[in-house]
Amino acid sequence: MTVLGEFALWIALPVAIWGMFLGFFGGKTQRGDLVLSAERSIYAVTFLLSLASIGIIAAFLGDKYQYWYVASYSNRDLETFYKFAGLWAGQRGSLLFWALLLSIFASITVFQNRNKNREFMPYVAGVLQGIFTFFLVVLLFAKVNPFQKLAFLPADGQGLNPQLQNYWMTIHPPTLYLGFTAFTIPFAFAMAALLNGRLDSRWIVLTRRWVLLSWFFLSVGILLGMRWAYEELGWGGYWFWDPVENASLLPWLTATAFLHSIQIQEKRGMLKVWNMSLVSMTFLLTIFATFLTRSGLIQSVHAFAEQLRIAYIFLAFLGTVTAGVVVLILYRLPKLQSENRIESFLSRESAFLFNNLILVGAAFAVLWGTIFPLIAEGVTGQKISVGPPFFNKVNIPIGLALLALAGIGPVIGWRRASKRNLRKNFLVPLVATFVISATLWILGVRHGVALTTWGIGLFVLIITGVEFWKGTRARARIEKEPLPVAFYHLVTRNRRRWGGYIVHVGIVLTFAGLAGASYNQDVRKHLMPGDTMNVASPWGHTYHLTYEGLSSSIGRGQRNLDWQAIALFSVREGNKALPNMTTEKRKYVTADQIMTEVGIHTTPEEDLYLILSALDNPSGALNNDPNAQGINLQVLVKPLVIWIWWGGLVLVVGSVIALWPSAERRRDLEDEAPEEPEAVAVGAT
Amino acid sequence: MRKPGRFMVGLVGVAAVVSYLIWTGVSNTMVYYLTPTELLARVKADPSFRNVGVKVSGKVVAGTVERVPDQLVYRFKVHDLSDPAVGFQVEYHGTLPDTFTDQSEVVLEGRLDGNGVFQATSLLTKCGSRYEASQQDLRKDVKS
Repeated sequence: MTVLGEFALWIALPVAIWGMFLGFFGGKTQRGDLVLSAERSIYAVTFLLSLASIGIIAAFLGDKYQYWYVASYSNRDLETFYKFAGLWAGQRGSLLFWALLLSIFASITVFQNRNKNREFMPYVAGVLQGIFTFFLVVLLFAKVNPFQKLAFLPADGQGLNPQLQNYWMTIHPPTLYLGFTAFTIPFAFAMAALLNGRLDSRWIVLTRRWVLLSWFFLSVGILLGMRWAYEELGWGGYWFWDPVENASLLPWLTATAFLHSIQIQEKRGMLKVWNMSLVSMTFLLTIFATFLTRSGLIQSVHAFAEQLRIAYIFLAFLGTVTAGVVVLILYRLPKLQSENRIESFLSRESAFLFNNLILVGAAFAVLWGTIFPLIAEGVTGQKISVGPPFFNKVNIPIGLALLALAGIGPVIGWRRASKRNLRKNFLVPLVATFVISATLWILGVRHGVALTTWGIGLFVLIITGVEFWKGTRARARIEKEPLPVAFYHLVTRNRRRWGGYIVHVGIVLTFAGLAGASYNQDVRKHLMPGDTMNVASPWGHTYHLTYEGLSSSIGRGQRNLDWQAIALFSVREGNKALPNMTTEKRKYVTADQIMTEVGIHTTPEEDLYLILSALDNPSGALNNDPNAQGINLQVLVKPLVIWIWWGGLVLVVGSVIALWPSAERRRDLEDEAPEEPEAVAVGAT
Repeated sequence: MRKPGRFMVGLVGVAAVVSYLIWTGVSNTMVYYLTPTELLARVKADPSFRNVGVKVSGKVVAGTVERVPDQLVYRFKVHDLSDPAVGFQVEYHGTLPDTFTDQSEVVLEGRLDGNGVFQATSLLTKCGSRYEASQQDLRKDVKS
C-alpha cells in the first residue's frame, strides 16, 4: 500500500503539469476536448493524492518504521487514533494532507460546474493544477518526501510528542488546513476572471460561499488551537503571539476583510482592484502559513539552513504568484474601473472600507511584528525581540475600532447616511451604552481597556438586537405571523445578512472574554498536605483550596505513560463546597520531559486554574514517602474565559446559517445562466 | 468635491494611526536579544546597561539547577552557546515550562543585578526543530 502511495505521488506530478497546460491552452483556444481533459486531470490528481495519503496512513497503522516520517511521529504503543492522525502530525505529511484537501475541494468545484460557468472552468482547472504542481515539486524534490526511507530499520518509532496527544490538537490542524485550502478556490476563480476578462462580480457570486466556508474553518481552527494551548500547555494562556499563531491569524484577517469588501463590489460595483488584491493576498498568506507553521523557520535561524531548499522553493512560488497577479491586474486595469464612487464619509461603503483598512492594517502590524526581528538582524546585525507587549499595544486599539464598526456598519445607510438615519439608529444605543458603562464604572470596573471593550461590545449587541427586533416586528405585522415564525422567516429569507449579524454577536462575546484577562489573578504558594490557600476572585468572593496530598501511580502502560503524580484539592467558594480539583505531573515513556496537567473549574464568571508547578521530591513522592508531599502550586483566576469559547459557538451557528443553501441563493446563481454565450462554446455539450 | 476630500483624510488618517501604533509599539516594547558574552561586554562598557531589560539566550549548565526549598525560586547557571566559559548565575521566579531540563537551551528575559546574577522574569525553552526527532535520536533505538 505504501509503495503504491509513493508511486502515486510520482505519477501525480506529470498529470498536474499536463492539466495545468491543458487548462490554460484550452481556455485560450476554446477547445472543448482540451478543457474536458484538464478538468478530468483534477479528478486524477485527487485519486493519486488519496492513494498517497492512504499509503502514509497504512505505514503508520502498520508500524513501518523504515520510513523516516513514521519513525519520527509514531511508536508501537501509540493509540490507533493518533497513528491515523500521523498524516498531519509533521511537516512532510502536512504538505501532502494540504494537497489532498485542496484536491477534494477542486474536484467538488469541477463537478459542480461541469455544465456551467464554462468561461471560468478551463482557467480554474489550470490555476489549481499549477498549485498542485508546486506542492508536488515540494514534496518530491525539497527533501520533505514523506516516503523517504531511513538507511536502517529502527526497532521502534520516536512516538508522538505527548503535548500533541490531545483531542483538540488532533482536529486543530485539519480544521485550519480546510480553511487554508478552501480559500484557494476563490483565488482560482479570481485568476480565471482576470484571464478570461469577465470582471463583473460574477466570480464573486460563484465563490462567496467558498470564502465563507474558508473563513468559518479558519475561525474554528484558530479557536481550537487556543483551546488546546489553554488546556495543554499548562500556563493558563491561550495566545502567545507566537510566529506560528500569527501565521494562521494573517489570512484570517485578510479573509475577513475580503468577506466584507466583496459585498461592496456586488452591491455597488466598486473596489474591483482591491478585491483582486485581497483575494490574492489571502491566498499567498495561506501558503505562507502552511509553510511557516511546520518549518519552525522563524524560531531559529538554524532551521533556515536545514530547510534552505524548501524555503527557496516557497519564496520562488510566492514571488511568481505575486508577480503574475500584479501583471494580470495591470493588464486588466481598464476593465477593473469602479462603476460608482463613494459619495459620503458617513455611508455603509465607507464603514466597510474602514473595516477593510483596519483589518489589513492589523495584518500588516502582525506580519511586521513577526518578521521585524529577522529584518532588523539582517540590516543592523543586532538581534532584537518584539513580543506580546508589541502585539497587544498595536492590536488592542485596532481591535476595538473594528468592534465599533461591527455596530456601525450594519445600520448606517448606503451611499449617504442622512442625519435622520444616524439619529434614528444610533441615539438610543449610544445613550444606553453610555449609561450601562457608567454603571459598570461606578460598580468598580476601572480597567480602561476592559471597560472600553465591554462598552463597545454592548453597543454592537444593542444595535444588532434592535435590528433583529425591528425586522421581526415588521414581518409579523405585514405577513400577520406570530413573532417566532416571523423571526424564523426573517432569518431564512436572507441568511447571509442575519447569519452575519449572529457572527458579529459571537465576535463580541469572544472579545468580551478576551478582555476578562485584564482581571486575571495569579497566586503562587508552597504547600504541605493540610495547608489551605486563599485566592480572591475579582468578583468579590474567595476560593479556599485545601491541599489533600499526592497520589502517585507508576507504569500504567496506557498512552505510553511512565508515571503520574496527582495533587488533590478540596475547594470551597466562600462557604459553598465545590467539586474536588486535581492537577498532576506525568512522565511519558516516549519523552524525556515531565508534563503538567492542569485542573480547571469553569463557571460563566471565571475559570479557577490550578498548575502543579513543582514536586519537592519527585522520587520520594512516587514511593509514597509521607515526607515528600510538598508542592509548589500556582493558582490563576481567569475571568470570563468561557465566553471566548461560547463566542466561538455562536460564530459557528451564524456561519452555518449563512452557509445553508437557500432558494434565494440558487436564484442568484441561475439568474445569469442565460446570459452566457460561451456556455455552449466551451465543451459543455 | 468637498466630501471625497474629507473621505481621503479619513483613509490617510487610518493609515497614519496604524503606522504610528506600529512605530511606537516597536520602539517601546522591543528588547535587545543578546548572548551572555554580548551582555557582559555591554555591561562592562556601560554599567547603566544593567537597568535595561534584555533577552538572553544560553544553555543551562547541567547539574546546576536547584530549587530554593519551600520557595518559588529556581537558581541555575547558564553559559554562552558558543563559549562554555562565559556565563552567569540566574534566579528565576516563576513556574518552569514542561520543556525545561538541566540541558535546555533557554531564552531568559530580565536584567543583570549588581551582584552579577541575572534576575529572570520569564523563561522559554528553545528546541531546534519543534516537534521533530533527529536522525541521531532514531539511531539510538536501532537494535544492534
